Amino acid sequence: MDECQSAIPAHDGDLHVVAAAHHIVKALGTTKNLSDDLRKILIDLDAHLSLITSNIDSKGGKGFVEVEERLKRVERKIVIWESDRIMIWDSGPKEVSDYLEAVDEVQTLIDSLRGLSMNENQKQKELLHRASSLLQMAMSRLEEELIHMLVKHKQQSEPTYMPSPSSQRNVVYNESVVSLDNESAKEASSKSSRSDECGEYIVDLVPEHVIPDIKSIAKVMFASDYGQEFCEAFIGVRKEALEQHFDILENGKLSIEDVLKMEWCSLSTEMNKWIWSMKIIFRVYLMSEKRLCDQVLGEFGSVNSFCFLEIAKTTILCLLNFGEAIAMGPQEPEKLLRLLDMYETLADLVLDIDALFSEDGGSFVRLEFHKLLEGLADSVKAAFNTFRVAVSSNVSLYPFPGGGVHPLSKYVMNYISMFPDYSSTLNLLLEDQHSDVASLVSEPQCGPTASLSTSCPMACHLRSITSSLESNLHKKSKLYKDEALQHIFLMNNLHYMVQKVKGSELRPFFGDEWIRKHNAKFQQHEMNYERVTWSSVVLLLKDDNPGSSSLSKSAFKEKCKGFSIAFEEVYKNQTSWCIPDPQLREDLRISTSLKVVHAYRTFLGRNPAHVDDKCIKHTVEDVEKLLLDLFEGSPRSLRNSRRMMKT
Amino acid sequence: MDTQEQELEDIELFQKHVSDRFTELSSPPEDDALLSVSWLHRLLDVFLCCEAEFEAILIMDRDPSQLSKPPFDRLIPEFIERAVKALDICNAVANGVDSVRHCQKLSEIVISALDQNPLGDGHAKRAKKALLMLLSAMNLDDKEGTHVKATERSWSFGRRGVNKEQIAGHFRSLSWQVAKNWSSAKQIQSMIYNLVAPRGAEASGLPSPIYTMNVIMIFVMWALVAAIPCQERNGLPTHFPVPKQLNWAHSLIGLQEKIADEWKKKEKKGMSGLLDELQKMEKLAQSLIDFTDSFHFPGDAEKVKGAAADVSELKEIFGRMDQGLTPLQMHIREVFHRIVRSRTEFLDVLEKGSAPVL
Repeated sequence: MDECQSAIPAHDGDLHVVAAAHHIVKALGTTKNLSDDLRKILIDLDAHLSLITSNIDSKGGKGFVEVEERLKRVERKIVIWESDRIMIWDSGPKEVSDYLEAVDEVQTLIDSLRGLSMNENQKQKELLHRASSLLQMAMSRLEEELIHMLVKHKQQSEPTYMPSPSSQRNVVYNESVVSLDNESAKEASSKSSRSDECGEYIVDLVPEHVIPDIKSIAKVMFASDYGQEFCEAFIGVRKEALEQHFDILENGKLSIEDVLKMEWCSLSTEMNKWIWSMKIIFRVYLMSEKRLCDQVLGEFGSVNSFCFLEIAKTTILCLLNFGEAIAMGPQEPEKLLRLLDMYETLADLVLDIDALFSEDGGSFVRLEFHKLLEGLADSVKAAFNTFRVAVSSNVSLYPFPGGGVHPLSKYVMNYISMFPDYSSTLNLLLEDQHSDVASLVSEPQCGPTASLSTSCPMACHLRSITSSLESNLHKKSKLYKDEALQHIFLMNNLHYMVQKVKGSELRPFFGDEWIRKHNAKFQQHEMNYERVTWSSVVLLLKDDNPGSSSLSKSAFKEKCKGFSIAFEEVYKNQTSWCIPDPQLREDLRISTSLKVVHAYRTFLGRNPAHVDDKCIKHTVEDVEKLLLDLFEGSPRSLRNSRRMMKT
Repeated sequence: MDTQEQELEDIELFQKHVSDRFTELSSPPEDDALLSVSWLHRLLDVFLCCEAEFEAILIMDRDPSQLSKPPFDRLIPEFIERAVKALDICNAVANGVDSVRHCQKLSEIVISALDQNPLGDGHAKRAKKALLMLLSAMNLDDKEGTHVKATERSWSFGRRGVNKEQIAGHFRSLSWQVAKNWSSAKQIQSMIYNLVAPRGAEASGLPSPIYTMNVIMIFVMWALVAAIPCQERNGLPTHFPVPKQLNWAHSLIGLQEKIADEWKKKEKKGMSGLLDELQKMEKLAQSLIDFTDSFHFPGDAEKVKGAAADVSELKEIFGRMDQGLTPLQMHIREVFHRIVRSRTEFLDVLEKGSAPVL
């Protein structure tokens, strides 16, 4: 329409030009296959040319009569709403289309009045002035209508599928888990939101039926060069709406200082909230917001992406800030799983982020989140490393009472049994550290039993960790003065490690070869224990002179006494020892029993004459029963052994 | 030259550079007024340069265990703590730049409205509406609960008066992004806390550049907070406890005093930031609002001419903001990332230097 800047013809000759132009326009108007836009342009052109002609015809002064009439008519239509408290868009479709038509008409009048050059024509100036004031009035009103519409139709309720953040499982992995058995430990430390997947889910942030109304206002405002006011209003309301959604997710506005000082329990909660919020904000709200912007502003070029960015900015910077604070923090071992969750969440979302902010203005958003992803990757590696170091450098000053499963073994094995869930991520992140570790691991995983899973980076790291644990346990075992207890301790712990590997998802990463080897190890300790404890005792019962029928009374008495003392010594010491695993305990008892009871029975059997002597403190049955007290973990002396009932 | 002498030379050179850079900042050319967008860019550059030199002196080719012994076992962790506080300020200020960009956008509407010939009542009304929003946005007392204050400002356009919905459309909260009780003034105060210049033997050794860097960091953060609106600047300290006899500090102290004077002047009136462009914009907005208030078509020729001059000045400021604000945000992010890296470096050094923790 702007092209119709024709000057008021100064000479009559120009009349012909105008008439010719008018003729051409009319001719073009009859062409078939005209697009709607083109047709509209021709109609407008036609109207302009008529205006010019009629003005020229009526020679000045009275020429603007028609224009003034039209202006008066449209003025009434627009001004009438100014005193009305009711919103136009609440009134009805007729009112709406009437108003919009009126605004359109004002714009047309302004364009045509402008199209005539400004001679010293007072009337023209006056009319133009009235028209532009009217336009401003209309635009102001449209702005109010827009805001009213947007605020009224803001979708406040959360989509029903969204679980409330507080219902999420949020158990923190710390020392208390160490004492749990396998099952509950697994349940307690499960990954935060892995199972609560959040795919793309576009919602109607504004009801479908309102969109055309918003668009119609946009069209009119942009056409009249009031697009900036439209954007201001639109951004203002949408931004606040998004921030309200974000507030519902209960992310605390934490400063970096706060995050760095936070204790682990609260921090873990915040990390979970962040994970969930990232998914919801990007996959649901921002996707939906983008669609809304596209629908409303799609035809206005770069304004679309500008508005979207302005709406989204503060919310995503909030999320970015927390992520950065976490990536900065000290990466203690207990953070590892949450860090993995955060990393995986962001890695998953990064493509969506790139798509949402694909234009130039959004490049810094893409950059910052990519940077954050790297930062989180580094954090994961650091936490993993700290974990490894913690395992090997964990020092005990005192031997672990009872020789049972050391808390360190429980902590390590329970913790690493959760790593397989993150195997693909860990393999990716630990890859560059692979070569260092592979050389540390003593057991080469080659041969027919080796497979991809046992040779992947994570598997190598896992074996390196258990290797460290083993070395550490060996060191701890040296704290025991009693060599037998050293073996019990190592047997218990190695057995525990093997059971953990066999009974969890760690198995494919360790492989059968590792299991076999470690079975052999703890069995070796079992045998060592027996040898150290009982060999000497059994030796006392040995037949010095094989072949001779029986011992002398004194010799017998001596042997009996010796045996009793030795046995009681063992009993006194070893009832306080512990073998937590019932199967292992049973195995050892049986094996011990076979050795000792058998030897004793044989010994007594070889000396039947002395059987009724009072020097025999214990019967074979007594010995059998007493052996059952071993490794129960509660120290006993023979005096308070309930089984010791003299008949 | 042995390492001790080399170190002393390096320190001296560092402090000379600091002095030079701040002297340059003190006498800006015409377009680069104190606390303008481009001046802030230069300030940030100065920070980055000083920081790089500082890190080189402290960390490069140095045995880490040196920095774990007294007094560094106290000085370095203190520096790191201040660095973390600076990070939060960077974020608050970057957020504040967004609100300045909002002002820029509003001024664009004013310019569109008034850049008309002939100027009509409609144009004036349009401009007035935008000007009211602009002044409101600039004087957004950055306290929490400013929602209330905004309603009290005169929004006399519209027959229905001011209602909550209209505010919803135009209000952009500064305080949404930070915790309720976070205060930029308090943050600066806590950074200044415990800042003591090294004395005696320490004054000629490594503690000296550490002190220098601390002062620079605090000054830069302080200047940013003074310039850019961010949450709760009430009570911003105006005095730095930097001894005047330190020769590298002269220009810095001079700058600080100049800015502090401006701050004290404006503080009573309740204001936006000291950002040069914002200050100028505010003056122009006031002048233009007076104009639009009293304007009736066709208007007084002199006044219209005056307004046109104001608009043209406003255009210039808009241009400077348009060019410089987004890069300023990027620049602040760069400083942010540098401080993060620096902190990590120092933490590494401390870890390597101290005995292994069991």
